[in-house]
Amino acid sequence: MPRPLQDQTLPGWFSNPVRLAVGLVLALHLSSCREETRVERATREKILLLGNGAEPKALDPHLVSSVGDSNILRALFEGLVTYHPENDSLNEPGVAERWESNADFSEWRFYLRDDARWSNGDPVTAQDFVYSYQRILHPEMGSPYASMLYFLKNAEAFNRGDLKDFAEVGVKAEGERVLVCTLVGPAPFFPDVVKHTSWLPVHRGTIEKFGKMTDPYTPWQKPGNHVSNGAFMLTDWRINAHVKVRKNPHYWDAANVKPNGIDFLPLESPFTEEKAFRNGLIHLSYSMPESLIGEYKALPDSPLHIETYAGSYFYRCNVTKKPTDNADFRRALAYAIDREVIVKYVTLGGQTPATAFTPPSEGGYQPPKVISFDPAKAREYLRKAGYASGAEVPEFTILINTLESHRNIAMAIQDMWKKNLGIEKVKIENQEWKVFQQTTQDLNYDVSRAGWIGDYVDPNTFLGIWVTGDSNNYTGWSNPDYDRLMRESSHLSDPAARYAKLAEAETVLMDGMPILPLYWYTRVYLLHPDVRNWHPLLLDNHPYKHIDLIPSGEGGSL
Amino acid sequence: MSTPYSSSSGEKGSSLGRDAWLRLKKNRLALASLGFIVLVIVACFLVPLLPGIPDPNATHPDLQFLGAGSSARSMEGRDVFYLFGSDQLGRDIFSRVLYGGRVSLTVGFLATFVSLTIGVVYGAFSGYVGGRTDVVMMRVVDILYALPFIVIVIILSTYVSAMEDWKPVKFLNELFGSSLWLLFVCIGAVEWLTMSRIVRGQVLSLKRQEFIDAARSLGLSQTRILFRHLIPNTLGPVIVYTTLTVPAVMRLEAILSFLGLGVQPPDASWGSLIKEGADLMASDPGLLVYPAIIFGATLFSLNFLGDGLRDALDPKSSKD
Repeated sequence: MPRPLQDQTLPGWFSNPVRLAVGLVLALHLSSCREETRVERATREKILLLGNGAEPKALDPHLVSSVGDSNILRALFEGLVTYHPENDSLNEPGVAERWESNADFSEWRFYLRDDARWSNGDPVTAQDFVYSYQRILHPEMGSPYASMLYFLKNAEAFNRGDLKDFAEVGVKAEGERVLVCTLVGPAPFFPDVVKHTSWLPVHRGTIEKFGKMTDPYTPWQKPGNHVSNGAFMLTDWRINAHVKVRKNPHYWDAANVKPNGIDFLPLESPFTEEKAFRNGLIHLSYSMPESLIGEYKALPDSPLHIETYAGSYFYRCNVTKKPTDNADFRRALAYAIDREVIVKYVTLGGQTPATAFTPPSEGGYQPPKVISFDPAKAREYLRKAGYASGAEVPEFTILINTLESHRNIAMAIQDMWKKNLGIEKVKIENQEWKVFQQTTQDLNYDVSRAGWIGDYVDPNTFLGIWVTGDSNNYTGWSNPDYDRLMRESSHLSDPAARYAKLAEAETVLMDGMPILPLYWYTRVYLLHPDVRNWHPLLLDNHPYKHIDLIPSGEGGSL
Repeated sequence: MSTPYSSSSGEKGSSLGRDAWLRLKKNRLALASLGFIVLVIVACFLVPLLPGIPDPNATHPDLQFLGAGSSARSMEGRDVFYLFGSDQLGRDIFSRVLYGGRVSLTVGFLATFVSLTIGVVYGAFSGYVGGRTDVVMMRVVDILYALPFIVIVIILSTYVSAMEDWKPVKFLNELFGSSLWLLFVCIGAVEWLTMSRIVRGQVLSLKRQEFIDAARSLGLSQTRILFRHLIPNTLGPVIVYTTLTVPAVMRLEAILSFLGLGVQPPDASWGSLIKEGADLMASDPGLLVYPAIIFGATLFSLNFLGDGLRDALDPKSSKD
């Protein structure tokens, strides 16, 4: 039966919270007197509709690096260890039913379950994992996240092409059911690491049916060809329209997979997404326009959620280029930014002003408190950098990717530098996301906007990128002391001693100031009340199989 | 000695321009539009010079989204008054609309001037020389017509910004304080096509007329005939088309700014103000309404004025 996609009971815009409230109440609760919305039908059919940011680059775990893409992969594939629905630092058994390490956490054995199956019925074996790790680490693959596997012994040398024989890399299959990982040093958090998309397995037969092991973007990613081992399998992918995944009947835990499927919708603009949510087109939004946060907050039973998110928003400085090659100048820039004002009036999502780079974690690592807003100190550093006044500073540019909120933050900072340091000639340049990434990577910028979201719950995922030569450094900054401290920290297995060493490293980082930390993220999104078993997570890596959909309008209790 | 245009009868001579002005004066709408345009130009270029008009890029994040006509004290202890309200960073919308108008009007008029110069010279030459030259020149125009505009502008602006250190480029950057000049050179370089066709058509019909034969028999040089006799006679349609090009160019500027090729933040143009306002219209309609009203009214006025001028400059219209 044909059905309109959206049920429009109100005009597409509104001018006050009251009308917003009325619209939402209509959209969310009063379902009896109108035609069913897309969300209501999806809830009935147990299909989760997700706004997912930009169009996915690939559905291959060895090619992606963005948050949206890894959301889809998390539904399609399952790693050795998988995410817990309520807490990212807890580990759920995935393909491995149990795992153990030696005394100093440098060798790990994963015992694979017998009933793990690919979506075509083949068993998932330890060899599949070895094959996948060889594929992501292969120099010809050029995988953006290959460095995540540098935990494995000799993986770095193999990835750089210095070592040709993969047999020397620290991963072995012992029979079909046991996978042994030998690491470069102790890593008590290793099971956390292997939950990441870069450690997901791929099906060898399917990859090689469509090309060599290292051929990227072959037709194996197409619906019909795609084979995965997660709770869901790919059924449809239309560019700029949707990626649809449905229950995988061969999944070992298929009986406990609650949703029948998930539709991932690429909705890039937060404004479009908010309208889609209001009109009953999606259960969950990826982002939220800052300007509407206040109005949503004022609603009773608001669908707005604001949660701590392990991420850091900062500006990279190009230390190979004038004027940002001068550390005193970078310090001057850092101290002249009033971060309180930015989080309170510009980002509005309850973010925390950053005092260093790594976000603090409760009961875990605490970053040093280095940075604050201090115009007098900033002016002093400016003088030390050799500028009597801000007017003498040569012109430089803040590079941002095209998004309203990045531009607002950049304009606010531009004015702060003008007010507090007297720097007049700061330009703002925006580039489209893909071009922006390339420009930043090529060090073709002065100051560039950046965000870093943790890949696992450990400060190492943040501090690791500033080591000399890391594939995500992109500033040209390198400090032997920092590299040494980071190396030393990786040999410590006592958490307290390790955190102390990492904090020391972070102090060195903040002294060199190749980056200007701004704030620590929160995740701000809209969630439909039909969605159950959805818990706030620090890394936002929700295992979708636990999520349930129950109509909230018809007697469902909240 | 009398010129070929002065009337030999006793009636007092009246120039084309004077006739046109008399006719235009009777067209109230066109006259009001002219007045409005002058007013907008004066407001955008002179009012910001007055003391008390705030810096359009000064932020007061604590005073965001204030309504029209509100005054407040910022946390730095400065008193501010917002005639049109404030935007998401607490900047003054009134002042941004004025400064944005500077950019939009400058781009509008200068780009039109560039397209006018290229189009008139090219079209007149093509039409006057005629023959094979004409065919080749007009096919070039056809080819350029077929190319997608946005792509050309992107290529042009990429090339020019790559030559940042070249002296003339540096000079222009310093003259305009930014690469804004690139915008109207790009737009002008693409917008001249229609102009050249119009002028060519005019010249084709004019060059067969007696006064050109007369000029030729007097032994005037080709250049002199082209620039002193032909081009001045095409002026009517050219002026009309110019007033219609200005609004088209202002719209193009808005499109390019939207794509990130035009004005860069924090500077504003009417186009970029409307774009930003459209995103925030749900929470703060003033951000959209004020620039949109002024932009719309200016475009209307330019179109009405163009219409009025067309009627006024049409020699066939009755002379009562």
